[in-house]
Amino acid sequence: MTPAPPAADRLGAPPAPVRGGTLTSSIRSEVRSYNRISARDYPTELLATLTLGRLVRVNRATHDVEPWLAESWTTSADALTYTFTLRDGVTWNDGTPFTSADVAFSFQAVYDPSAKSVLRNSLLVGGQPLRIDTPDPHTVVVTFAEPFGPGVRLLDNLTIMPRHKLEAALAGGTFADAWSAATPPADLAAIGPFQLARYDPGQRIVLDRNPRYWRTDERGEALPYLDRLVLEIVPDQDAELVRLQSGQIDLTQQQLRAADVATLRPLVTQGRLQLLEIGVANDVDHFFFNLRPAQWARDPRRAWLPRREFRQAISHAVDREAYADTVFLGEAVPIHGPITPGNRLWFWPGIPRYEFSRDKARALLAGLGLQNRDADEWLEDERGTEARFSLITVRGNTQLERGAAVVRDELRQIGVAMDIVPLEANALIKRMLDGQFEAIFFVFGATDLDPALSPDLWLSSGSAHVWNIGQRTPATDWEARIDALMAEQARATDLAERQRLFREVQRIFSEELPMIHFAAARLYMGVSARVFNLSPGFARPHLLWSADTISVTPAGPATSQ
Amino acid sequence: MAAGRYLLRRAGFALLLVAVVSSASLVLVRLAPGDATAAEALEMTAEERARVRAQLGLDRPLLAQYVDWASHAVRLDFGQSFLYARPVSDLLGERARNTAVLASSALVLATLIGLPLGVLTGSRPDTIGAAVTRALSLLALSVPPLVAALLLVLLAARTGWMPVGGMTSLAAASGTWGAWLSDVARHVPLPALALALPFAATLERVQSEAVADAVAEPFVRAARARGLTYGDAVRRHAWRASLRPVLGIYGLIIGSLFSGSFIVEVVTAWPGLGRLMFDALRARDLYLVAGTAATGAAFLALGTLIADALLALADPRVAEEREP
Repeated sequence: MTPAPPAADRLGAPPAPVRGGTLTSSIRSEVRSYNRISARDYPTELLATLTLGRLVRVNRATHDVEPWLAESWTTSADALTYTFTLRDGVTWNDGTPFTSADVAFSFQAVYDPSAKSVLRNSLLVGGQPLRIDTPDPHTVVVTFAEPFGPGVRLLDNLTIMPRHKLEAALAGGTFADAWSAATPPADLAAIGPFQLARYDPGQRIVLDRNPRYWRTDERGEALPYLDRLVLEIVPDQDAELVRLQSGQIDLTQQQLRAADVATLRPLVTQGRLQLLEIGVANDVDHFFFNLRPAQWARDPRRAWLPRREFRQAISHAVDREAYADTVFLGEAVPIHGPITPGNRLWFWPGIPRYEFSRDKARALLAGLGLQNRDADEWLEDERGTEARFSLITVRGNTQLERGAAVVRDELRQIGVAMDIVPLEANALIKRMLDGQFEAIFFVFGATDLDPALSPDLWLSSGSAHVWNIGQRTPATDWEARIDALMAEQARATDLAERQRLFREVQRIFSEELPMIHFAAARLYMGVSARVFNLSPGFARPHLLWSADTISVTPAGPATSQ
Repeated sequence: MAAGRYLLRRAGFALLLVAVVSSASLVLVRLAPGDATAAEALEMTAEERARVRAQLGLDRPLLAQYVDWASHAVRLDFGQSFLYARPVSDLLGERARNTAVLASSALVLATLIGLPLGVLTGSRPDTIGAAVTRALSLLALSVPPLVAALLLVLLAARTGWMPVGGMTSLAAASGTWGAWLSDVARHVPLPALALALPFAATLERVQSEAVADAVAEPFVRAARARGLTYGDAVRRHAWRASLRPVLGIYGLIIGSLFSGSFIVEVVTAWPGLGRLMFDALRARDLYLVAGTAATGAAFLALGTLIADALLALADPRVAEEREP
């Protein structure tokens, strides 16, 4: 039995990863489909990462774009055309050669309405599909309708699907239903490090090493190192933690809750677990008011509730350090905008901040005519309307409920009453989409770390522009200005210029405060001490995005019970 | 003859129950705020969301959608799951078998624990054993299933006595039928115990009261006068007479167990109907919710029917009393 090296030693590049072994991870939910083009749930995305491939991939640890199924590419002088050279000798696991026809087919499926693609919007430039030419089996030419700042990074969104398996389905209009979770493994094809071996509904997904995987390590040894990867379906987070503690799974897909970090520390001391800090979360809790003009037209609070000074007062009234300590048990950092330090390329440390000051908050409220005009503790406007609003949040989400309680207590100190209304998530989303709310506290993530690839939040027409969703024309001057800046930065190809433009977007956002942010969690993953060669990434799958280079010590495998 | 008519009427009632429960589930989920597109709504444009809603039939009037669904459901075609893009009937088939395995085991456990203890506490109420049993019953009834399941999972993880969850291990899943069966037998005690404890306590309480009533009956006193010991009189006469109220609640217990417990199934990762319904509800998967509700109601009705049949067999007066 080989003793496991200390956890800390394993996070770098261990001298000799060991070939073989089984890694067992938990996963919370059932797989819905193996068709990544038509399904966007997490298990489908994870399985696509493990079994399929991309032309280029964004390295989740370094944020850099790196060659993948395409070994190189060139860019035209006008930055509109990218010519990719595909790797030689790459085959699907059934022996069929991988060629440019697979790439063209995948784009065709993405843009074909009958395929009901969920990737279509993420693969448009200037609202137009990309033009794909395949002059020979090893060359793919991709042409953008206009210059696009993220460039080939955009292609990280495209999962390449096997033409020889799915061409008939696309031609027959049944592509959207192809590769459902009931599809036998023999009917699938893999080009990634693993291939599906079996799926036991409600229990587990078993993936075996793809013997035809194209990648080798620096010693020339074929990857992946693991022989088998098992995803045990464990829907309950507490049960998942117990399994991790008892060594029955090696890792989880979800980051640990703040309270669980403390629970696991003794096991780290005993050398049974590693606690990996991934960095600061990119997905944060958003506090926002309904800024649709129609919402307030007949409301007696219209003179002050939708005003930016009111939002600025709230931002001043919350002690973000205390918020991080209370809500995240200290495992968080204060933030002042939706871009967190976890997004290294686009985070702006100089973003205007609202320091904790109840005096400044009270002064802003007084400027809106809100004063305490009677004997109670709440402020009133000139008509005697109390400074009170309701906040909807997600019932059962401890982090949001605790955060809302902290904000309510802070606002009470400045005489503003906030009534918390916990709702089930679906009901909250319906109210958000229908504009039936006063304020909401909710968590959702950016589509991508590059702002040009997550326009849904920033653009006034965006589907995640939640304070006033899907506007036909910008409702305010500042939203029009952000639209213009976002369009300009998406077209710019110089990174420094793009960052400058996006800083201006963040400055306007911070001044107008359509959303208020308080803290972003530090993310931790718990991993068995037998697992090494890990490369924690900033986005899910945090660890399995580089599953081909993960290795386990031969002794003491996690047992799948 | 009376028993036959009685059982036929009960079967008719069972069908009505299934129809009402599944229809009500579909209608209520459709009327509840939010729909199957909500979870991904922020990633979709308004046009894309409208297209998906149309594909799922959510843009149609409720009545039209219900009539369409019901006309297929009577032929056991419950439609296509939004969540899994598979026929609901296939999903129900997979999961109902697993729930049946768990529920049968829990039923056996609850019976083996509850009935003997009920006889003990009912026939010898003043002993220390009876007092301890009553206290434990109260505890089992009070502890929420979530807590009981988590405690058992923790116990299993700490001691290694039982697998901490799931229905089979990977090795057995691809092995022979015999290996699969023995592997399931290794996995089932934990969730079965979590599920059985409150029912065992219920059975103990009902059996105890029934036995206590029965031992006071003249025929038991007569049996003692004929020279039977107290224990023999309880075993041979009082216990049989006490069965009627116990069989009466068996129907409900069987129904509750077989319709699936989502809490126990989620915590112990048992791939059953309860978990399927939980996922379907969270995702507002209309047809899957209706399908799981129909299956649960069918199990409940079947359980009641079995209990009624047993009751009619044990005491033919039951059927006669209930005949109009």
